[in-house]
Amino acid sequence: MNRQIRRVGLAILVCFGALFAQLNWLQVIDAHSLADNPRNVRAVLRDYAEPRGQIVTSDGTVVARSEPAKDEFERLRTYPTGPLFGHVSGFFSFTLGASAVEDAYNKDLSGRNLDRQFHDIGDWLIGKEQTGDAVLSLSDVAQQAAKDALGDRKGSVVVLDPATGEVVALWSYPSYDPSPLAAHSSKAVQAAYDGYRTDPANPMLARAYRERYPPGSTFKVVTASTAIDTGTATPQTRYPVLRFLALPQSDKQLHNFGNSACGGTMADSFRQSCNSTFGQIGLDLGEKLVDGMKAFGVTEDVPFDLPEARSAGPAPGTFAHNKPSFANAAIGQGDVAVTPLQMAMVAATIANGGVVMAPHVVREIRDADGRVIRRIGPDEWRRAVQPTTAAAVTQMMIDVVKRGTGTAAAVPGFTVAGKTGTAEAPGGPPHAWFIGFAPAEAPRYAIAVIVERGGDLGDEATGGRVAAPVAGKVLAKLLAIPPAPPETSTTTTTTGPRPGGR
Amino acid sequence: MTLAVIVAAGGYVLTALAKGARLPADLAPFAAGAAGLALVAHLAVRRFAPRADGTLLGLAVLLNGIGFVAIARLDPDLARYQSLWTAVGVGAFVVTLAAVKRVTDLQRYRYTFALVGIGSLLIPAVPGIGQEINGARLWVHLGPLNFQPGEAAKVTLVLFLAAYLVEKRELLSTPTWRVGPVMLPDPKHFAPLLLAWGSSIMVMVREKDLGSSLLFFTVFLAMLYMATARGSYLGVGVGLFAIGATLAYHAFGHVRERVTTWINPWPTADSHGFQLVQALFAFGSGGFAGTGLGLGSPGKIPNAATDFVFAAIGEELGLIGTTAVLLIYLLLVGVGFRIALRAEQPFLKLLAAGLTTLMGVQTFIILGGVTRLIPLTGITMPFVSYGGSSLLANFVILALLLRISDEVARRAEPTPVAEAGAAR
Repeated sequence: MNRQIRRVGLAILVCFGALFAQLNWLQVIDAHSLADNPRNVRAVLRDYAEPRGQIVTSDGTVVARSEPAKDEFERLRTYPTGPLFGHVSGFFSFTLGASAVEDAYNKDLSGRNLDRQFHDIGDWLIGKEQTGDAVLSLSDVAQQAAKDALGDRKGSVVVLDPATGEVVALWSYPSYDPSPLAAHSSKAVQAAYDGYRTDPANPMLARAYRERYPPGSTFKVVTASTAIDTGTATPQTRYPVLRFLALPQSDKQLHNFGNSACGGTMADSFRQSCNSTFGQIGLDLGEKLVDGMKAFGVTEDVPFDLPEARSAGPAPGTFAHNKPSFANAAIGQGDVAVTPLQMAMVAATIANGGVVMAPHVVREIRDADGRVIRRIGPDEWRRAVQPTTAAAVTQMMIDVVKRGTGTAAAVPGFTVAGKTGTAEAPGGPPHAWFIGFAPAEAPRYAIAVIVERGGDLGDEATGGRVAAPVAGKVLAKLLAIPPAPPETSTTTTTTGPRPGGR
Repeated sequence: MTLAVIVAAGGYVLTALAKGARLPADLAPFAAGAAGLALVAHLAVRRFAPRADGTLLGLAVLLNGIGFVAIARLDPDLARYQSLWTAVGVGAFVVTLAAVKRVTDLQRYRYTFALVGIGSLLIPAVPGIGQEINGARLWVHLGPLNFQPGEAAKVTLVLFLAAYLVEKRELLSTPTWRVGPVMLPDPKHFAPLLLAWGSSIMVMVREKDLGSSLLFFTVFLAMLYMATARGSYLGVGVGLFAIGATLAYHAFGHVRERVTTWINPWPTADSHGFQLVQALFAFGSGGFAGTGLGLGSPGKIPNAATDFVFAAIGEELGLIGTTAVLLIYLLLVGVGFRIALRAEQPFLKLLAAGLTTLMGVQTFIILGGVTRLIPLTGITMPFVSYGGSSLLANFVILALLLRISDEVARRAEPTPVAEAGAAR
């Protein structure tokens, strides 16, 4: 019997060996993919119980903070500013996970950033809390100004610092209050979430960077820049006065606004937003228009710190057999679909002498003592056009606000450069657009405004009547604040003049 | 022996310390009480089976202690019940040691054991008393008491098998009955065995207790093989198993469900595969060293205190902890088989080997299921899982093994000298 007993014992030993191998697979080899599986809520639960830093605006308003709570989670995340910064901060929810800054800067806020741990090894040894505060580049003043100017019309206002790429305001109406989503009762959270989700106005959609619209005539900034930069045309190049442009390869026509006749120099056409001229420039540019859009980053993944929707344009290599789509793209219609953030970047690029800066909403991470432990940007992303081109386009944009379609964006005492747009979109009245920057000679702010479906003016709406006044109000409010003196920081090396919204 | 008790006591002290920082102080009396119980069990062994193997009790107490910590961390209320059940288990352990003067005598009651075993398997099917929990009908509900008689049945059926197989092993190993080209033993001797085995399997399948069916089948086969030394039984058994498994797969939805979740749990991660996926997350999140006691989220795993307690251990103690638990079981099984090998009387030999196989296979089935090595079938983890009946049954198994060990040692060396006398 002994031999059989030994064999049974051996069989059990082999089984246990297999168990050991399987445990090694689960707990060592495959452990990371299991631990990081999105269905695995442990990471969120761990983050949730741990201390978490605040999110504050550049002017010191607390956007998100963790308050002590008496239940199993120990802390409750609240958003004192309610909907004002909802699309920027995002939410930090046990039930739903995290979004926007709460997600993108999770490691900094929870203090699990590796750099930080080395930096603060001494603090760690004495058991100090390791959380970081995220300081937004957005200011409460700018965000509030954007909100007030847009009112209860659906749309977006994006303000950038052209020199640094810092986002100064990022407002979309309607917005949502993240607090109910961070509650501890998953039932209540689900109810709040379902409420937001089923709201036909879709308040959780961050229109400023998650929604794409046809940009209409504001896109003529890209077209004109590309034409000048490639030597295809100059501001003085003359175009025929037409009511419409007959499109090649089809029987369709590209009509001017209100079927009026326009033309003349490119600068004249730009000021009056003349479609026939820019349709022709689009045809003259051909494939170069696609390259120009790419140079501005329109069809690229933007190095933004929040998840931006990627903008789109006509596909490269399609000009030869689809010329009309290039004429349409040149006036921001057809295949062109962009986020308001993208259009603000176009304005900021002209303001910045043709260099596109990487946009970001968080300026720096600070520790509990207020020391800056990480600084975000400024990062040069790409060069779109030569400085001379940017200067020429700036001149044309100044004329738009001085005596063209964008006069409503003017701010007394400052030179504003801009471009209006009235973008046709199927299913309703056109979208009203304005993009621009100020002061034109030393730009502090670049702005993009969109009012969906022209707001209350509906079919009567144009970019000049509806969107330009919004931009004017926001710029007036911001330009009234004197520029901050250059910061002298002792903690980090890269600090330039920071004309932020302080 | 003393060393094992020190290790066990050390385990308790450590666990009390580990929990102390996070749980209220009322846990300390519980830990002290459990340590007292270990002492009672130890003294009983000294009194009734002084020559028994010294490591067995220590290993079991260690497992029990690890289980207690895991349960207390998940649910302090359950831990209170568990300490109560441990007391009952230790009581049964002492009673078994005291009552069973000579294990060989148990041979006489083999048919009683068979009846008790099958009878207790049938009880849960009786309407009014039986209760269905988690889709399996294996609970008896009597007033405030919930009991799983299947646990007791496992022990009595192993007792019956050991006695019956030893008696008939000559006959069973000499094939006299020719069926076509196959030689089989006389059906006269084989029939009662088949009857006992078949009916218990049937009952367990009806009650949807797949884990116990698989466990009992495996133990039955192993004991048949050990008694008769005929490998052909294994072949026939594996064949029967294949047929049975295929039939069950096609006949029962819940069997099919278990197999598909085993092959790929991810598509059903929110429904049937939920608890397995949660267990896998627990293992993965634990990683090599674990999150540390009280720092993981084993509460996310359904049934974490009972069938899935190993995943809870894996999360908070990591690969180090799971490997340690695995090694303790391996030692326990090793000691059990050593007792079987040293025994000279066939009944003692087969009983010790059978009971050890029972524990080893049960451990493998549940650990394999929880780690997705084999399809998941819900049974308890011996000594570790929360559950009164299981704890009780395992303490009785432990007592029987110790008695056998003691008897073997006495027989080998009649004059009491030292504990080391047990080694030949």
